Amino acid sequence: MNNSLAVVVLASGVLYGTPLLYAALGELLAERSGVLNLGVEGMMLVGAVMGFWAVQRLPGPSPLVLAAGIGVAALAGAAMAAIHAFLVVTLRANQIVSGLALTIFAGAAGLSSYLGNDLKLTGLPAKHQFQEVFPKSFQDLPVIGPMVFGQSVLVYASWVCVVLVALYLTRTRTGLNVRAVGESPAAADAMGINVAGYRYVHTLVGGAFAGVGGAAFSLSITPQWADGLTGGAGWIAIALVIFAFWRPALCLLGAYFFGAFTALPFALQGHGVTVAPELFQTLPYVATIAALVLVSSRAARLRFGAPAALGLPYVREER
Amino acid sequence: MRIERRLQQPWWLAVVVPVASILVAFALSAVVLLLTGHPPIHSFHRLFDAAFIAHGALSDTIVSATPLAFTGLAAAVAFRMNLFNIGGEGQLYGGAITGATVALLMAGAPSPLVIAGMIVAGAFGGALLAAIPAVLRAFFSTNEIITSLMLNYVVGLVLEYLIFDSHSYLRETRGFEASVFPQGKTLPAEATWSSWRVHSLALPLGFLLAIGVGVVVWVLYARTRFGFEVQVIADSPRAGRYAGMRTRRKILAVMCLSGAIAGIGGASQDGDFRHQLDPRGLRQANYGYTGIVVAALARYNPLAVVPVAVLLGGLQNAGFALQGVDFPNGLVGVMQGLILFCVLGGELFVRYRVRFERGTAPAQTPAPEPAP
Amino acid sequence: MGGEVQASPPDPLTMPPAVALRGITKRFPAVVANDRVDFEAAAGEVHALLGENGAGKTTLSNILTGLYRPDEGEILLDGRPVEFHSPRDAITAGIAMVHQHFRLVSPFTVAENVVLGDQRDIGRSFVVRPRAIEARVEELSGRYGLAVDPRSHIWQLSVGEQQRVEVLKALYQEARILILDEPTAVLTPQEADALFETVRAMAADGRTVIFISHKLHEVKAVADRVTVLRRGRSLATVSASEATPRSLAALMVGREVEIGRRHQDRPAVGKAVLELAGVWADGDRGTPAVRDVSLQVRSGEIVAVAGVAGNGQRELAETIVGMRATTSGTVEIGGRRLRSGDPRSAISAGVAYVPEDRLGTGVAPGMSVASNVVLKTYRRSPVSQGPFLRLARIRDLAARAIDKYDVRTSGSQVPAWQLSGGNVQKVVLAREFSGEPVVLIAASPTRGLDVSSIETVHAYLREAAATGVAVLLLSEDLDEILALADRIAVMYEGAVAGEREAESATVEELGLLMAGGHRD
Repeated sequence: MNNSLAVVVLASGVLYGTPLLYAALGELLAERSGVLNLGVEGMMLVGAVMGFWAVQRLPGPSPLVLAAGIGVAALAGAAMAAIHAFLVVTLRANQIVSGLALTIFAGAAGLSSYLGNDLKLTGLPAKHQFQEVFPKSFQDLPVIGPMVFGQSVLVYASWVCVVLVALYLTRTRTGLNVRAVGESPAAADAMGINVAGYRYVHTLVGGAFAGVGGAAFSLSITPQWADGLTGGAGWIAIALVIFAFWRPALCLLGAYFFGAFTALPFALQGHGVTVAPELFQTLPYVATIAALVLVSSRAARLRFGAPAALGLPYVREER
Repeated sequence: MRIERRLQQPWWLAVVVPVASILVAFALSAVVLLLTGHPPIHSFHRLFDAAFIAHGALSDTIVSATPLAFTGLAAAVAFRMNLFNIGGEGQLYGGAITGATVALLMAGAPSPLVIAGMIVAGAFGGALLAAIPAVLRAFFSTNEIITSLMLNYVVGLVLEYLIFDSHSYLRETRGFEASVFPQGKTLPAEATWSSWRVHSLALPLGFLLAIGVGVVVWVLYARTRFGFEVQVIADSPRAGRYAGMRTRRKILAVMCLSGAIAGIGGASQDGDFRHQLDPRGLRQANYGYTGIVVAALARYNPLAVVPVAVLLGGLQNAGFALQGVDFPNGLVGVMQGLILFCVLGGELFVRYRVRFERGTAPAQTPAPEPAP
Repeated sequence: MGGEVQASPPDPLTMPPAVALRGITKRFPAVVANDRVDFEAAAGEVHALLGENGAGKTTLSNILTGLYRPDEGEILLDGRPVEFHSPRDAITAGIAMVHQHFRLVSPFTVAENVVLGDQRDIGRSFVVRPRAIEARVEELSGRYGLAVDPRSHIWQLSVGEQQRVEVLKALYQEARILILDEPTAVLTPQEADALFETVRAMAADGRTVIFISHKLHEVKAVADRVTVLRRGRSLATVSASEATPRSLAALMVGREVEIGRRHQDRPAVGKAVLELAGVWADGDRGTPAVRDVSLQVRSGEIVAVAGVAGNGQRELAETIVGMRATTSGTVEIGGRRLRSGDPRSAISAGVAYVPEDRLGTGVAPGMSVASNVVLKTYRRSPVSQGPFLRLARIRDLAARAIDKYDVRTSGSQVPAWQLSGGNVQKVVLAREFSGEPVVLIAASPTRGLDVSSIETVHAYLREAAATGVAVLLLSEDLDEILALADRIAVMYEGAVAGEREAESATVEELGLLMAGGHRD
């Protein structure tokens, strides 16, 4: 049963959905503070290449090296996000164009490609990879075996992150403050909350998450480095945040949903179904468009809208 | 640090700031090069040489600049109304597909007719693709950034499917080479677009067409009712609605115009340069995304797009020419990104005046008469 | 945990004032908002800051609350100079403000809004404890007569209730100095009286209350002393009991002002031009905002729609001019039915609209004055010829409009956002009247304007009626309504609660209708 198409797709959905989940959680945090960061694809790629580089170069036992790789990926993603944060929070640049600039700068045929070539990282498999954690016996359980117990630490850590982010936003002071910053920066400012500070921090954290999501590709899924490795996952993650109405739990469901679409063509090939792969590969993108249209419909928007100040620079002294 | 909105924008600011942005971007690129162990001055010298100076470089730069001019205009047209059409890449592919199809269908007809047919088909293909995010935005309030972007991936995959995986009309099926490595049918000779020589410089039809389109778009936006409405809606959609402007129709019109221009760029790729439908080449080139950089650097002014496209085309061209072990492909993207960052940062100085002051002055100075 | 300060009355001779501003100057690119302003208030005092719109009252209070930094001058609390680098510093110093435009987070609950940014005791804990906060909010509500459910969300509350939340925020911060910025603009007369009670209670506690207003009778009703601001300068500080409305008005505006009532001479009223029959329309949230409204305005008549903001007036105006679709009912101009949700239909029928949102809807703020003058006429000649605009013609028309309506601007190419509120309104009026309308819808046309602009706008409205235009005025200012209208309709919760002839209407009766009591 565990070899049936359905189970394979579900289990792969979790695997392929994990980078989406990390990136979406990060973008969710940034957007909750009112900053739209379209540079997710770029941040993921830089995270992927830098995490890969760390794993290839650092000596030591596998768990430590992988942990260091994730750490480096997170830092790289945050560094990219810092550029965007500086431009949009301090210099009040247009958030959409700035995010695009970040994707061009850091993405495929940009910095990530530059680093990948310069550091001679292409073509080789990762020296250390994330492996499954639970023993084979667990994985033989029907359905939940491969889905739940057949995953790596990265996947389990992502679940913890979902819970942490959800608790953060709903139960803590800082979470309340950041939500206020995203909904009404004027109100937050008047109450003494440092709007710019919150926006910087959450954008950088968002970048860190994106970096980790990228590393999930280069250290777990693929696990290699190639130019443009993420194949648009960053953009799907942005759509995912909208699709999830800016809620972490729904991000999880959505990530696995889109992950399943991404996994479908490979699963089908594995089952001997010979359909042109390109057409199936369009599925996640088409599904994203369809999901967005549904979500944008008036009723949905009225009740679960975006943070009201998303995408708008906050200016205190403008007359 | 104090930031104040400017009351008047001196005209020279609109030129100085982009130029200064490019210079700063080059400086930052130099830093990147230094940090990764490449000699910056030498690299820039090689870049400039390969872009403009070397024998035939300028013609090659025009070749690179032509698609960028189209996608740049496409982006400028849409971004001026706050419609962020990122789908220029896919719309260009669409125009390439329809342009190549019409060229093959019209084989045997007189060349001017075929060329005209390709232009129309390219515009139509691009406009059709742009209509999708346009309709979704106008009628369902769906974010056009993501929908247009997703379509880039979809059309890119369709493009590859047509040549690599199917036995479509567009695919070359005869010949030994074709069975080993899939490629598109070579377009008939009638479908080759004209080109004019000025001294040693080759000016393809596409390039001249782009200049023409730029002028037309400028007139449209600066001197017509259509352009007036675009300006108002971009400034304040509510005011536009208040004035009785048909916002939805405008969204459709502007997006389709944008897509059509990008589509013509795709047809130009078929007719001017590649003479077949070339998925790999088109996908590697990133014309659509670079077009956005062109548009931003030109500050969305249609007349400035073509000169800027030549500049960035030079960069792109040099990147291809110099590609190798010591000149990584990613450098072009890095420099483009840095240019865009600097242009964005520079915008602040165009719209605002920045002053540095320390705290509050305790003394009382005579104050000017308050305004009535 | 105290809220009380001192019980004994302050001795002005020995104690420094609770708050003092000396020589405060604040400049913006286009105007000097505060010009060497001196101001002081004592603990336990209600001190009114009086001035017309644009005099610099809000700027001054923003400086006091740390939102703006002054260019010159100093702030002293209890005699000690202080410097505020951000709102946090002001909050820590015990200053709180109830803003004219509320600074509330709409999706949050009352409790969440009140505790936002708080850094003391309950606030200090990393984890939010909703129960404890709600208890504190209820305690404060009871003590100061500010009834509101701490668990309800802001968007569910009426405007008056939202203001109570703003006051609760200040009290929760245990502010020693409270600033209320034009608080009664959004209240019914009865609600305003209740607010004055709250204000007196706060002062009795030893707090300092600074009450900002441009309404003379309010200032006399609630304040101990009054400081008058005019054009950014502080003119005089007088005792409220000794000053008269006349003397205050003279100080405020700098000349004698007519505080009188309506002009009695009005030409005969004609037939009904604007007719609404059973109009229903949905608001932004998808729920009905206009419920079964039937109304008639005749040629030469001024009908006013009174009501507290948020009762459907804005939506009603938008429905009439086609910016909002009707879900049921009809709007007719001179017998011709207008197409629902189509502004062009209304424009071509001769409906002129002066919207409430001057700068965002009435003009395109980034575009030139000239462009805004032709905003509705650009489609036809002589402004355009075929698809092309005739730029010279546009400049010409704009110059004439600027001249005729006395718009103060340095040129017709200046972007609209640089003009003062009064001048923006003149541009809007110039444009609307140029089309020779038969109906004029004016929504809060004088909000935020200085006195002479207000007089100008009123004059234009009267003149329009005198030439036979049917005028529908929607306003929250009862004084304005009583001064201008022939008939008054009161809106409450989207429906017309009652109609009265202006001559026989009383403030009390209107106030009751506005609050939902005593429906017809």
